[in-house]
Amino acid sequence: MFNRIIAINSIEQLNESYYVISVDIGESVKEIRPGQFFELKKPESCYPMLRKPISVYDIQSTKVSFMIKKLGKATEQFAVMKAGDKLDIIGPLGNGFSITEGNKAIIVSGGIGYPPLYYLKTQLEQAGKTIYWLHGGQTSIDIFPADEIWTDDGSAGNKGFVTEGLTNYIKNQKPDVIYACGPKAMLKACHQIAERNSVPLFVSLEEYMACGIGVCYGCAVKVRTDNSIGVTYKTVCKDGPVFEAKDIVWE
Amino acid sequence: MNRLQTRLGKLELQNPVTVASGTFGLEYGEFFDLNRLGAYVTKTITLKPKIGNPPPRLYETEAGLLNSIGLQNPGVEEFIKLNLPELKEVLSIPIIVSFSGGTIEEFTTILSKLERTDGIAGYEVNISCPNVEKEGIAFGVDALVVYELIRRLRSFTNKELIVKLTPNVTDIVSIANAAEEGGADSMALINTVQGMAIDPLSGKSRVKMGVCGYSGPAIKPIALANVFKVAQRVKLPILAMGGICTWQDAMEFFYAGASAIAVGTYNFVNPKACVDLIDGLDNYLSEKGATLQDIIGKVSF
Repeated sequence: MFNRIIAINSIEQLNESYYVISVDIGESVKEIRPGQFFELKKPESCYPMLRKPISVYDIQSTKVSFMIKKLGKATEQFAVMKAGDKLDIIGPLGNGFSITEGNKAIIVSGGIGYPPLYYLKTQLEQAGKTIYWLHGGQTSIDIFPADEIWTDDGSAGNKGFVTEGLTNYIKNQKPDVIYACGPKAMLKACHQIAERNSVPLFVSLEEYMACGIGVCYGCAVKVRTDNSIGVTYKTVCKDGPVFEAKDIVWE
Repeated sequence: MNRLQTRLGKLELQNPVTVASGTFGLEYGEFFDLNRLGAYVTKTITLKPKIGNPPPRLYETEAGLLNSIGLQNPGVEEFIKLNLPELKEVLSIPIIVSFSGGTIEEFTTILSKLERTDGIAGYEVNISCPNVEKEGIAFGVDALVVYELIRRLRSFTNKELIVKLTPNVTDIVSIANAAEEGGADSMALINTVQGMAIDPLSGKSRVKMGVCGYSGPAIKPIALANVFKVAQRVKLPILAMGGICTWQDAMEFFYAGASAIAVGTYNFVNPKACVDLIDGLDNYLSEKGATLQDIIGKVSF
């Protein structure tokens, strides 16, 4: 984990909502596991003051890239930055995905849930796994390359929820593991499908964060535990962002 | 000569910079040598473990941060067994344990357990957390209760007893006076100011619990006014906090009468905020040819 103020290597606008920023962090790329994230901040920004947690999207040699969706003030600030502009980054943070045993993996993503799974996919491929990727979004703007595409409005791929695709696919080909990232409702539906089919599911969660390193307890997620009340809150930033879906209390 | 040396009640500190309870952890050791701090203040512990409040617990507004963590902590037994040994292993600076309770008996039970351990330099009695129903703030708003609580705690320890005050009262001076009469060694102020934010489109509260604690730059003038008011009327030394980000912010609080300061929310923004502040302060005082003690309480009008 390090904190550095670093020049942006490149920034590429993918469409009106999404863009990719890449920074060269040298040998530190070796520390990064798929599913980990960095906390990004425009230096000198008073508002927003807090950093924003952004997953690692890809790594090319010593460059790490972040695929970002414009969702608020900070992500709009980053969007208009240029190569050479400085970013204040802390990372890599969080636990990341473990690459489990078994050969067949399904990846399910929704909208901006795509990036952490993209880097995971490259690592799964290197490990020789067979992968089937289902990606969904509200409209075609939210769509990126995958084996199967779903949109809410039918503007790209199949019309409907990506979890419908998961249900259909899994009927014929039961995987060894499922990895998912996306809106809570999608993850909850994935959990129900995974449970019905007895397939382990690992999800990457998102929650409003402050410190990003496990000290402030701001980014809480309710999980099952063996204390007297059976539940507790864990931090998405340090205990997560990746959790096994069966441990989470899906509310 | 150490121009930054200061004293907080019974504690001699190598410099006046500490951390606000709940905003810091050993994790920051990744970014700087934690023993450069004047003292280390733990996250508040309670008698029994607390799982804290449901999310969302945070929301950043135009000039500060709303939070409703709800004192999530493992409880005093677990703290003594697991956390305190880790702190003692890493830290050679004074360790100040923040604690809170729902009744006077809970406070005294925690304190007597902590007193049976070693390695603790002092205590911060949290009677000002706005995010728990029974603990904390229920105590901090009533001068008679504060007096009785501190009097009872005093009989359990000779160590530094810091009382953390809330600004969410009509008259903070009367609460501070009660802490002094009860036998406190020093005071920490301020805890968070009550705040709230609502999504203007959906009408939904940004933080699940609604009204919660507000910190960061927005509350600095409020904290400063409270520190100044209390410093004018109460003899106990003050550990000041509330929106402090830079050494210049800290200087304002020293002029207002604080003997030490704590960085809170800003740790999240700049993980090296505390050491940047210490270095900035040291450089400035060196250039000015002054010591910290020359500054404290010397505000002019």
